[in-house]
Amino acid sequence: MEPLSTVEIIIQTIIRFWPTWTAIGLTIFGCYFIREKMGVVGRLYGSTVGMWGAVLVLFWIFTAIFADLIAVQPALEQSFAPGMKKSAPGTGFMKDLEDGTQVAVYYLWGGDNLARDLFSRVVYGSQVVLIIAPAATLIAYMVGSTLGLPAGYYLGWIDTLMSFLANLVLAFPVILLFYLLVTPEVNEVKLIPIGPINLPWSLPIGMAAFFFLFPIIFLCTMWYTKYEKNPQRLATYIGVTLVVGLWLYSGLAFNSDPLGIVGMAPNELNVFAAVILGSSPGVFRIVRGLTMDIKTRDYVAAAQTRGERPWYIMLWEILPNARGPLIVDFCLRIGYTTILLGTLGFFGLGLSPESPDWGSMINHGRAFVRLSSTVHLSLFPAIALMTLVLGLNLLADGLREESLKD
Amino acid sequence: MTQPILDIEDLNISFYTRAGEIPAVMDFSMTVMPGETMGLVGESGCGKSTVSLGIMQYLGNNGHIKSGSIKFLGEDMGSMSDDRLRELRGSRISMVYQEPMASLNPAMKIGKQLSEVLTVHEGISEEDALARAAEMVDAVRLPDPDRILGAYPHQLSGGQQQRVVISMALLSKPQLLLLDEPTTALDVTVEAGIVSLIKDLASEFGTSMIFVSHNLGLILETCDRITVMYSGEAVEEGDIDTVFNNMRHPYTKGLLRSIPVPGADKYARPLVAIPGQLPLPHQRPHGCNFGPRCSHYDEQTCNTHAVRMHPVGSNEDRHRSRCEKINDIDWNAEIDAGEIDEPIEVGDVVISVDNLKKHYSVSTGMFGGGDKRTVKANEEVTFDAREAETVAIVGESGCGKSTFAKVLMGLETATDGKVQLGNLDIGSLPVERRNAKTVSQVQMVFQNPFDTLNPSMTIGDQICRVLEQFEIGKDDDDRRNKMLELLDLVKLPREFARRMPRQLSGGQKQRIGIARAFAGRPKLVVADEPVSALDVSVQAAVTKLLTDIQRESRTTMLFISHDLGVVRYLSDRIVVMYLGRIMEQGNTEDIFAPPYHPYTEALLSAVPIADTNVKKRHVVLEGELPSPLNPLPGCPFQTRCQYVMPGKCDQGELPVRDMGDGHKIACHLSEEELNNMEPVIVVEGATTAAE
Repeated sequence: MEPLSTVEIIIQTIIRFWPTWTAIGLTIFGCYFIREKMGVVGRLYGSTVGMWGAVLVLFWIFTAIFADLIAVQPALEQSFAPGMKKSAPGTGFMKDLEDGTQVAVYYLWGGDNLARDLFSRVVYGSQVVLIIAPAATLIAYMVGSTLGLPAGYYLGWIDTLMSFLANLVLAFPVILLFYLLVTPEVNEVKLIPIGPINLPWSLPIGMAAFFFLFPIIFLCTMWYTKYEKNPQRLATYIGVTLVVGLWLYSGLAFNSDPLGIVGMAPNELNVFAAVILGSSPGVFRIVRGLTMDIKTRDYVAAAQTRGERPWYIMLWEILPNARGPLIVDFCLRIGYTTILLGTLGFFGLGLSPESPDWGSMINHGRAFVRLSSTVHLSLFPAIALMTLVLGLNLLADGLREESLKD
Repeated sequence: MTQPILDIEDLNISFYTRAGEIPAVMDFSMTVMPGETMGLVGESGCGKSTVSLGIMQYLGNNGHIKSGSIKFLGEDMGSMSDDRLRELRGSRISMVYQEPMASLNPAMKIGKQLSEVLTVHEGISEEDALARAAEMVDAVRLPDPDRILGAYPHQLSGGQQQRVVISMALLSKPQLLLLDEPTTALDVTVEAGIVSLIKDLASEFGTSMIFVSHNLGLILETCDRITVMYSGEAVEEGDIDTVFNNMRHPYTKGLLRSIPVPGADKYARPLVAIPGQLPLPHQRPHGCNFGPRCSHYDEQTCNTHAVRMHPVGSNEDRHRSRCEKINDIDWNAEIDAGEIDEPIEVGDVVISVDNLKKHYSVSTGMFGGGDKRTVKANEEVTFDAREAETVAIVGESGCGKSTFAKVLMGLETATDGKVQLGNLDIGSLPVERRNAKTVSQVQMVFQNPFDTLNPSMTIGDQICRVLEQFEIGKDDDDRRNKMLELLDLVKLPREFARRMPRQLSGGQKQRIGIARAFAGRPKLVVADEPVSALDVSVQAAVTKLLTDIQRESRTTMLFISHDLGVVRYLSDRIVVMYLGRIMEQGNTEDIFAPPYHPYTEALLSAVPIADTNVKKRHVVLEGELPSPLNPLPGCPFQTRCQYVMPGKCDQGELPVRDMGDGHKIACHLSEEELNNMEPVIVVEGATTAAE
């Protein structure tokens, strides 16, 4: 079969992404009419940089959502046609279908060393990246906030102790830390019998068990301080949080969901724990600084003089008013986390080897970078990673710029 | 005719923002003659600072001079090259800004910063420049010039820094000096020193000045001529006496009637607020900008065309006003003050403060070691407040009034002494240990309206939260109704419950703050400068609301302020504090008339009064507030007192002299010496300017 020309590859690629284009168009068009109600996000329409960032980020979000429509074939499917290993972009072959007929399939961005479609793998890779990076960042935010708020609010020895611990983590070489976490001796899972169940235990599981506790504590404290004098509502909110939270907790941290719905592979758990540990100290610092600033406002004094509990003040008076800088930092931090995931994948520390995450793909293509005919094995996932991080950074810049303008 | 120093003609300045073009200054003309001091007065957002920045040609990226000319000594500044402008700025035209610390480079010694002005603009050698700098530092009456020149900015006090900034501005003998709110960040007694310095320097160097301020009293004390600005336009211009006594614009008249001057009285002659609020720049009316708030408004004459400046009287008077009805309005008529309240009957003692002390210990070394030193924020504070009474606590920053408020609110606990509320000692009871009832009985109105409400919660939710916290109301619906009633109480529409704080103006936010404080029917409300951050024209309305609610609910109010004008107007009794101690206390009339404590005397003299009929005796305090870290034995005021008696004031206990009727003065002077003091404020002839 004739390989596609460069122009044909470009046109075909653009066509394959049609669900993404449609969704971006609808989102941007639809939000334009409610931009007044969207606060600082709505103001992005006035900023070229922010708009480019939003388009890039939306591109990958929608690609992840519609991956099944966009991808040519499943991420792990190999082609057994001759010449498809490390094949150049645009190479095609006749694929046998189950009903005996044949159909022409083109590897738009070429095939990898196992003759899998690079295009499909990059598209599916966006799912991995866009679930793990924001989720890990969100949990890092809850950990950092839960610790940073009291440090900035009380100061004194609490602050000294926690800042010291944060500095300790920040001073430790991150990559070394990650290597330690994936060392077989360290992450070997032991089963500890507690009553009728055997609790799996290893250092990463312990860390995850510790970190995943924070969202539950965070939400429960929020409800308790807000609805303390309204027992009915308090019971509902805390009840729902505890049931859902503990169910997710058992599934995610210990991989022992009684219903068997949620779970996380040991590799994923390692990455998760590592990423949270790596970014929480940064979040801690920014939250602590903002708390120290906002603490001096009169509305905080007003809350104190009407006898509010310290945690109410921290969670309901201080934290919501720190959201501007925190949203910007959140975007930037998802970007760092994405790079970190890539780095981990590149070192082979990340997810399972066959996983289509971009970092691992770059790593696998590394051996073939020397030949110009096989450069694309690393190039396409690298471009994907770069555009997503660039989009996040531009979006953060745009948000920051717009929130400073009046 | 001599050539004017500065001649501004038909100036229009606009800012370009997301919302489109915003005209900040419109149709503005002004002439400053040699040796003249021009006052530029107006509320925030009226464009007065934009004019001063426009003169410096410093409008930033989005500001633009649309039309009109600014001529400096006949030369059009708009057509000057950047090089020529740089040459003028700092040498022929200088500017002094509000925040002295922001004008000085914190990493450079004062001497270096001052001499740089001369080496850059005049190209003289470093030694000569330093010598000239030392002379100038001496001229602005800073002690020990050599020490000042070798100091970094942070080693000087705010007043000293501002003097350095002024000396820097004057170094190259400018012909025009722009002062943009130069004393707003300073205490009143320090301000008085700077103001008298500016006046002396003006006559000594013959410099023309433009003095930008929101404080009419300050303008009256310093300027020869005045331009009143409102919503981007000059509304009235003229000689200072003419404008104060024969104003020809309703805004000027309303402004003067809304600030407390010695003739105003809460009962006999209450302040009259200007109704409404400043229009937003893109919502200005078609014709007269002041129209919607003016009682003489008339659709036909006032709203058909843009109003121009009209001359008043002959050309020599140089008095102009932007009003179409100059000849129709009876300018001598008294503004209707509405209902006049009866004086209030005070009840029993509600709160009794007995020998209260609040000390902080400060350690200087690392790890909490080193010298232990004590800051005495409050020392031997003793006074009572009765039901429905307004007691003012007056003093400059650092006098301990905020610490005292914190002790009352339970944010700090007293080191010693008692604060008795009913039969409860709240001085030693932190807020966490007070029950909901006690908490709701002692509430506070805060100073900064832009800070007093949580920006991310609706008004209604915030008030409901207060009610919930005070355990008022059976359920959510009940509390919602109570919240709406509170909105009625502070005269805000009920729709405001769904609004966010950013959709409210400063005055409206302060009303919510008042509603919040009075939600639990408090016995005591501490009001910490509740109106000082508001615009002059809305201050009167908020003050009136506060006193009305207080009168209705017979709440005791502790009014913390440094503004003796407001205090005189509002309070029944006054407590004057200095460095944590009560210097004088008594009924309002007794405080404002001799015998005085020497500090009260200086404080009274320092406050600028916007009334040409008031003659003041000048008592300028030298020196700075001493550090509270090293309390001196004897009287804390000894370092600045003009009556200081060495060997007597610096030792022993401070005697408290009872002058009768609860009037107490803490001073070493004998009763006779105190009785022989002359009054500081004398009102001549008619009581106010408007009459």
